Amino acid sequence: MNWHRSPELLDRLAAEYALGTLHGGARRRFEAVMAEQAVVARAVSRWDRRLTPLAADLPPLVAGEPLWQRIQGQVQAAAPRTASKPSRRPAPAPAPAAATRRWWQSLFAPVPAGALAFGLMLGIATPTVFELLQAERDAAQLPESYVGVLATADGRQGLIVSSLRRGQTVDLKVIRAVPVPPGSVPFLWTIDAAGQARPVGPLPPLTGGFVSVPLSQPAEAVFFTAVELAVSFEAAGSRPASPATPFVYRGLCGKLWRVAPGPAPAPAR
Amino acid sequence: MLQDFAAPPMPNDTDLLDLLARIATKDQAALRELYAAASGRLLAVTCRILDDRAAAEDVVQEVFVTVWTRAAQFPALRTSPIAWLTSMARNRAIDTLRRRRPETPLAWQDADGNEHQHDVADASGSPLDQLLAAQSEGRLGDCMAQLEKEPRAALRLAYYEGLTHEQLSLRIDRPLGTVKAWIRRSLLRLRDCLGEPA
Repeated sequence: MNWHRSPELLDRLAAEYALGTLHGGARRRFEAVMAEQAVVARAVSRWDRRLTPLAADLPPLVAGEPLWQRIQGQVQAAAPRTASKPSRRPAPAPAPAAATRRWWQSLFAPVPAGALAFGLMLGIATPTVFELLQAERDAAQLPESYVGVLATADGRQGLIVSSLRRGQTVDLKVIRAVPVPPGSVPFLWTIDAAGQARPVGPLPPLTGGFVSVPLSQPAEAVFFTAVELAVSFEAAGSRPASPATPFVYRGLCGKLWRVAPGPAPAPAR
Repeated sequence: MLQDFAAPPMPNDTDLLDLLARIATKDQAALRELYAAASGRLLAVTCRILDDRAAAEDVVQEVFVTVWTRAAQFPALRTSPIAWLTSMARNRAIDTLRRRRPETPLAWQDADGNEHQHDVADASGSPLDQLLAAQSEGRLGDCMAQLEKEPRAALRLAYYEGLTHEQLSLRIDRPLGTVKAWIRRSLLRLRDCLGEPA
């Protein structure tokens, strides 16, 4: 029996996990499955939200400057996406497989999920075949990407912008070229939900075809808040903080990855 | 320099979401704001479980560094920021506790045959008692109030101190089966009372 496919049993285990009473091999095995199964992570998340108000009963402690200095030192020293461990303890080298883990594994699982095959809860093992099939299915999916489909100022198809979510390159496919004024270059912008434009950087001439441009930081950091992308013409060599000319291309920026269905985000309290 | 770590009011989820979005773009000022807002509460959670300030600070450090590296992935979780932060802190503290707990059993005998007890059951008037008597605000508080006294106390102990069923059984001196049944039934009743979280 696969407990993670039995809603009632899954909910019971998720509750015991969130409370903390699940322990030993059962806890570790649960974490391993949670790292692979979004439905398990969501069940735990529901219980976390139910129980978190209990924490508000604890009188807050004063966390001081020295702890902040340690955190600040570590984040400044950390390369993007490195393992997070306190600086006073040696961080283990990231395993090659870590890059292929699902994202929620690192959010929920505080211990590595690998070497935990024993002590199974209720004597149940997750079928290896299922995991292999899952991995095969993942390999056939489009990689997680940001994709912008931009129209020209007169509303015609103009430009496709894409970047792997964790990549550092932007690819542009010019569908309809727009003449660039002398002394100007195309300049890429992100536009957030509040309508605020933020500069990404200058682009090479968009005369047609396919163009690839390196990013100075991971796409996730550049496009995370973007709901739209846009291109304006800016003076060559300039680094504008806001667009000086009207956008010549503009369109929605989509996040092409599966977001597990779940309850709506909690309202402000 | 940070201006005030003395547990300012916790920002609401909207404010926290804004901070996480800024942190996802590697805005260190936002991380500092989040630290000022949440570190005191997270430290309270980890200190309660670990009873060791240094170890508790280590866990809080881990949490904030994880937030720094993983904030961009938060929106897809569809959870509340404070639940995410708190559960991360609790789970890491519980793992730390359980890695070391076998070295200090609840009761043991030293080389001279003297018996010792790690956790004394009777601590009248202690902060823990006050805590157990505290009434959570809001819906959870109302639902907790509907539980019977002993199961409610067991559930609170499990949450605040990261105790397993076996440790709860020893702590409150009730049979293991009874404690398991209390916890299971209490969680079910809470779920039925609270429904789906917002």
